Amino acid sequence: MPSRRFGLPTFVAGLFAFSASAFAADPIKVGVTIAQSPPGSVSQGTQVKDGLEVAAKIINDAGGVNGSKIELIYEDTQGIPEKARAAVEKLITRDQVVAVTGEHQSSAALAGIEVAHRYHVPYINTNGWSDVIREKGYPEVFNPGNYNSRVAIAVAETMKSLGAKNVVAFCENTDYGVGLAKLIGAQIAERAQGISYKYETLDRASKDYLPAILPLKANPPDMVVEIMLPPGAYILLNQLNEQGVAPTAKTMIYDASGIADYPDFWQNVGDAAKNMLVFGLYHPKMPLPDLGKKVAADYTAKTKGDPNRLLFQAADSLFLIAEAIKTAKSTKADDMIKALEGIKWTGTRGEVSFSSEKSGFKYHQWLDVPYVTFQVTAVKQPVADMKLVQDPGKPLDMSRVEKTK
Amino acid sequence: MLTLDLLINGLIIGVFYALMAIGLSLIFGILKVVNFAHGEFYMVGAYAYTLSALALGISPWVSLPFALLVGLLLGLVVERLLMRPLYSGYTSWGVMRDEYAVIVTFALSIFLINIVDKVVGPYAYKGPALIGISRITIGPLAISGHRLIAAMVAVTVIIVVAFIIRYSFWGRQIQAVSQNRLGASLAGIDTAKASAIVFSLAGGLAAVSGALLANIFNPTPDVGVFPAIKSYVIVVLGGMGSVPGSIIASLILGVFESFGGVYISYQYRDTFGLFILILFLLFRPQGLFGEKAREV
Repeated sequence: MPSRRFGLPTFVAGLFAFSASAFAADPIKVGVTIAQSPPGSVSQGTQVKDGLEVAAKIINDAGGVNGSKIELIYEDTQGIPEKARAAVEKLITRDQVVAVTGEHQSSAALAGIEVAHRYHVPYINTNGWSDVIREKGYPEVFNPGNYNSRVAIAVAETMKSLGAKNVVAFCENTDYGVGLAKLIGAQIAERAQGISYKYETLDRASKDYLPAILPLKANPPDMVVEIMLPPGAYILLNQLNEQGVAPTAKTMIYDASGIADYPDFWQNVGDAAKNMLVFGLYHPKMPLPDLGKKVAADYTAKTKGDPNRLLFQAADSLFLIAEAIKTAKSTKADDMIKALEGIKWTGTRGEVSFSSEKSGFKYHQWLDVPYVTFQVTAVKQPVADMKLVQDPGKPLDMSRVEKTK
Repeated sequence: MLTLDLLINGLIIGVFYALMAIGLSLIFGILKVVNFAHGEFYMVGAYAYTLSALALGISPWVSLPFALLVGLLLGLVVERLLMRPLYSGYTSWGVMRDEYAVIVTFALSIFLINIVDKVVGPYAYKGPALIGISRITIGPLAISGHRLIAAMVAVTVIIVVAFIIRYSFWGRQIQAVSQNRLGASLAGIDTAKASAIVFSLAGGLAAVSGALLANIFNPTPDVGVFPAIKSYVIVVLGGMGSVPGSIIASLILGVFESFGGVYISYQYRDTFGLFILILFLLFRPQGLFGEKAREV
């Protein structure tokens, strides 16, 4: 009979051993770089975080990846490239993450991919739209999110369909903003000749845009294209409306940044968004695969909010990492990269595959990211009620577009 | 017509700059230090105005004095807890006053930005308009109704503050302390109380500025950073410690940025003030109305 002296400690040690063995597999660490404090877009960062957590829960509730749970490790970049660089460095060297994802601002992504490339760690770019991110040609970088060239083509074709002759764009002074403004110009020159186009760069930190807006009063354009993130975007829309430049019977607004589905949109923009056309990466009337519907439902249950495009982009980013590990049966970088290059997987928005074409923006880009164009037709209108004027993969339907009277 | 538009816009923006800069100038005048958390007093005022109106459903004309009160209290608390060591016993800490002020106010700035970000959240909130008219058209000019009313309120506040500083009992004591702290103390003036009043007043003015601009610039946790930078430029241009100098410099800067943004370059608009600042520091460091330093 074991003595009492050793019985209880042995029993307790056995309990610990049993619990340890039940969770023997180490978690798979995935690094996340998002803006959680100013001057970065914290609203975007919060939406990305929500999407990743919904996806992580779905993955872990299903048993994890190859028996291991996914663990997300967050770093706040503040939307600043230097901090993004430091964040990725810390995630890779100190936290030993197998991949990095979550980045939603192009300037920060451009800094982060340099570190990921140096350490040869997979980097899933969640929402950096700048084509330059792709043009670098880094094998570690994969882009399941939208890209500026796609928006530029959409804008040019929309301007052509609307019969606009004079288009002015306001872009923020970032890699994303200026990059997209230039691309739109190039696409208009190629696809919609005869349209006069110019763009003005606005400092996203400055708040008074009137000196840039006032000169338009004498000769208002047919379309103002907004290429900014909140809060600068909201201030621009309000100041355009305040001065009577747009929206008017003569001048419409086109939101190229897709901000109309942001949670704080209506608390900042009143009738300044009237009849605004929106480049949308998500609309409730878009057909969604089953995984997309599940993510949307879980998100709404968790936050009581309506889904938005960043939710799906973030979720897809994490699901892709999980799929790569599952397919490769490995967390080694080369194995994951090879798995991602050959992937054909149905995510939350459609079937994802990455182009292997090494030239330009196409490298490791999901080229067929679905998008729609919809129109805001009433103040405080939920996204679900905003009118779809262009279905995925179809041209703009002019008969559905409403003009301001 | 564009010229008139730009002039009006420049003057209106200049008035808001002045409201912000006066407080900073007063603090420098009496404490001889720069408050690097001044932009956050602006931010707190903007949020106090916006959230009280939105959450409590009260009129913006009630939220505005509420924001002023919050700014006054914040200034008072900051002075009492953080700035007192500057003139009572700081030397025993072995820390020089300038370094102390920089470190403490920078830390306060970072703290306030992050606490608001965490407590209120990162999303922007558009403040309510003081008047329900979105656009007032005067001939070919179109001005936001709120912007016009807010500018008039700002001018009124500036006049009242200038009157208080110049003619009131405490205003004269503040002037005495800013001229010579030791001398004022020897004359029986409570210098600590004067400092507290100035800091509180500065907080109130910045808060009112933030509140008035909340409908125009949609408050976020870092909304005060940019106005603060403008304020530092204005205080130097006007002459550190000179309230009239701050007012004049504000109007000049507002108009210059407005015209420069159209006729020179909009992209470099915010650098104009910094460029002028460099010129003044090189050729007229005392600013428009400041005095050259004298040592006795």
